Amino acid sequence: MTPSSGIWRLYLIGGIFLVLSMLIIGQMIRIQNSEHARELTDYFANTYNQQVRVISPERGNIYDRWGNLLAGNIEVYEVGISPPQVINSETIARDLSSVLEVDYEDILKAAQSYVREGNEQYFVVKDFVPSEKIQQLEEKIIEYKEMPRPNRGQPPSLVGVHWVPHLIRSYPENSLAANILGFFNFFDRQAGRGFFGLEEQYNYLLAGAKQRIVIPMNPTAIQEFPEVPPGSSLILTIDREIQAAMEAIVDQTIEESGSESVTIVVMDPETGEILAMATNPHFNPNEYNTYTEIFPPGSHFNRAVSQLYEPGSVFKVFTMAAAIDAGVVQADTPFLDTGAIEVGGIWIYNWDRGAWGPQDMTGCMQHSLNVCLAWVAKELGPTQFYQYLQNFGIGRFSGIDLAGEQVYPVSQPGDPTWYPINLGTNSFGQGVAATPIQMISGVAALANDGRMMTPHVVRAYIQDGQQYNVQPRVLRQVLKPETAEIMTEMLAYALEEEASSALVEGYRFAGKTGTGQIPGPGGYTSSLTNASFVGWGPVDDPKFIIYVWLEKPQTSQWGSVVAAPVFQKAASELVVLMKLPPDEIRRQFANP
Amino acid sequence: MIQAYRQAPWRVQLQWIGAFLLILVTVMLIAGVYLFVSAQAASAGTRIQRLELQRENLNIQIADLRTQNALHNSSLIMGERAEEMGFRPATQTDIVYIQVPGYIGRSIAFLAPPPSPPVRPTGLLKPAFQQSLWEWLYQGVFQLSEIQGGRQ
Repeated sequence: MTPSSGIWRLYLIGGIFLVLSMLIIGQMIRIQNSEHARELTDYFANTYNQQVRVISPERGNIYDRWGNLLAGNIEVYEVGISPPQVINSETIARDLSSVLEVDYEDILKAAQSYVREGNEQYFVVKDFVPSEKIQQLEEKIIEYKEMPRPNRGQPPSLVGVHWVPHLIRSYPENSLAANILGFFNFFDRQAGRGFFGLEEQYNYLLAGAKQRIVIPMNPTAIQEFPEVPPGSSLILTIDREIQAAMEAIVDQTIEESGSESVTIVVMDPETGEILAMATNPHFNPNEYNTYTEIFPPGSHFNRAVSQLYEPGSVFKVFTMAAAIDAGVVQADTPFLDTGAIEVGGIWIYNWDRGAWGPQDMTGCMQHSLNVCLAWVAKELGPTQFYQYLQNFGIGRFSGIDLAGEQVYPVSQPGDPTWYPINLGTNSFGQGVAATPIQMISGVAALANDGRMMTPHVVRAYIQDGQQYNVQPRVLRQVLKPETAEIMTEMLAYALEEEASSALVEGYRFAGKTGTGQIPGPGGYTSSLTNASFVGWGPVDDPKFIIYVWLEKPQTSQWGSVVAAPVFQKAASELVVLMKLPPDEIRRQFANP
Repeated sequence: MIQAYRQAPWRVQLQWIGAFLLILVTVMLIAGVYLFVSAQAASAGTRIQRLELQRENLNIQIADLRTQNALHNSSLIMGERAEEMGFRPATQTDIVYIQVPGYIGRSIAFLAPPPSPPVRPTGLLKPAFQQSLWEWLYQGVFQLSEIQGGRQ
């Protein structure tokens, strides 16, 4: 072997190694930059380098006007098992099955899944576990820690069991004001939303905005968690004590009158604030899954805003107010009641089919004479009559901030469903339908110098730590202030003259009864009625207006018999709860 | 003559070793500082994570306690408690009205302050807790060059 051939061999070996090295390096570069490698890197980066969390803000609270909590949130837990961490699967299965009332075999299988199948996936045992149950588990952990280690086998241990707290909706007053609040389906953690009432109407405000955040697992790359503000809270116009009192009266009235339903709405006529809105059936939103049992198909969650009915004679308030405002009649305009009047070729009679002889307009309202009111409507004429009804909000949405309001359009001249007789029947509240909230909003104009306010239940809302008050909104001036005053005086006088069972000692109220027949497939043949009463006071400075509606009362069909006493009870409670002194004392205070 | 100016080989070796050790010590010092700062940052980071979690849990507890409090003060419970204590609902005849000069009545709930001008949100974490040593050095050098550039 010559030296030159040895060097050549060395060069050859060196060259081979160089080429091999280059190939290896080239392959490394190719592998590292391949699509698969990128996917793998991303996968590991996403799995182990950072955690993606969606933070749901705390749902906003709902308070009554004095700050009493009506809807809040309580802490519950999601309990799960991390199979790779499990030390003693039997203990876990035994304790979780006894405390959480879940199946022993299922838990045992999940706890042993890592040992048997290599399963590393987190297993959710139970969600919505109350804190008392978690306390029991914590006590067991302490107990096991204090126990001496056994000579053989694994010690009892709950290692591998985890619980994570989260909030769910809670209504501390249970069924109180549930028809106003609605409910939130908190068992659906991903797509929960509000249903009915405020929970539906203000769902977007109460829910707040969910935020998706990426949390780096590298502690040196720590980032500040973004502040996730809670959903907006609502402060209502509702007074908890008044609401509770009205609900108690509703229950008592149902029992006494055998009515299918009873609804009471209390409003401040000056601002349109709803102080109470009580109806039946009662529903506990904490147990919202009973909804279908309590509300069969076709029933209404909140009758005050959703159930349309023919109000009957309370509607006469609108007819008479319109006629006085238009200057067609005055309080002392005479009318000879013959007991019947023809409108559009059809005869209309009084409620008792009697003739009441010479009357004035106050007498017509006092005795609730259909014939007289039909005559008043005729004198007013359909154009003006229906224009006033529209202004009173009949056939229109009242604008209340509650979900589910219904409206029944009023047939007018020119509509295919309108006939001349409609003018006569509409004048005393038949052939026309409205909800209690639409009725009270319209009548409230009489108690507020002819100004109609938008009814509302939200007084203020709290957003980003600041309270924004909702200002009362004037819908329109329906009547002249003088008309409102005349009507109030007429209706107060009528109540006093009738010695109505609606009167409250020491206070002067204005009011009107109503008995509406219920139409069926064959017309107004049923003896069942809707009995109503609307009243407000004190007449010189009205602080509240109450609307009472009894659906199909059994003890009597007349509003004056069954609805007026309910008003009396409600008003008697209100003057105490609202701390309204009797008229005489109030005057003494005003002029000491 | 040349021999006279050459250092002894052991001296050259010593100088090399000395220079190497100096560089090594410097690198180790920097690495040590870096490790120390990184460890502190990591420790602070984990603490922040724990505190964030704690804050989240405390918010949940506050919400829960607020509702628990409302449960104990609910209309029904309060009514029952009042009845147990011998109270009954007042009626019209029970009430004596007295005029109190200046008293304007009960005002509605104010659970939060009224709206005020918007405040620019400021982060709770200082930048120092979010920077590595290199980022800090780089930023420092960058700021220095900016200042000098500005002087020119």
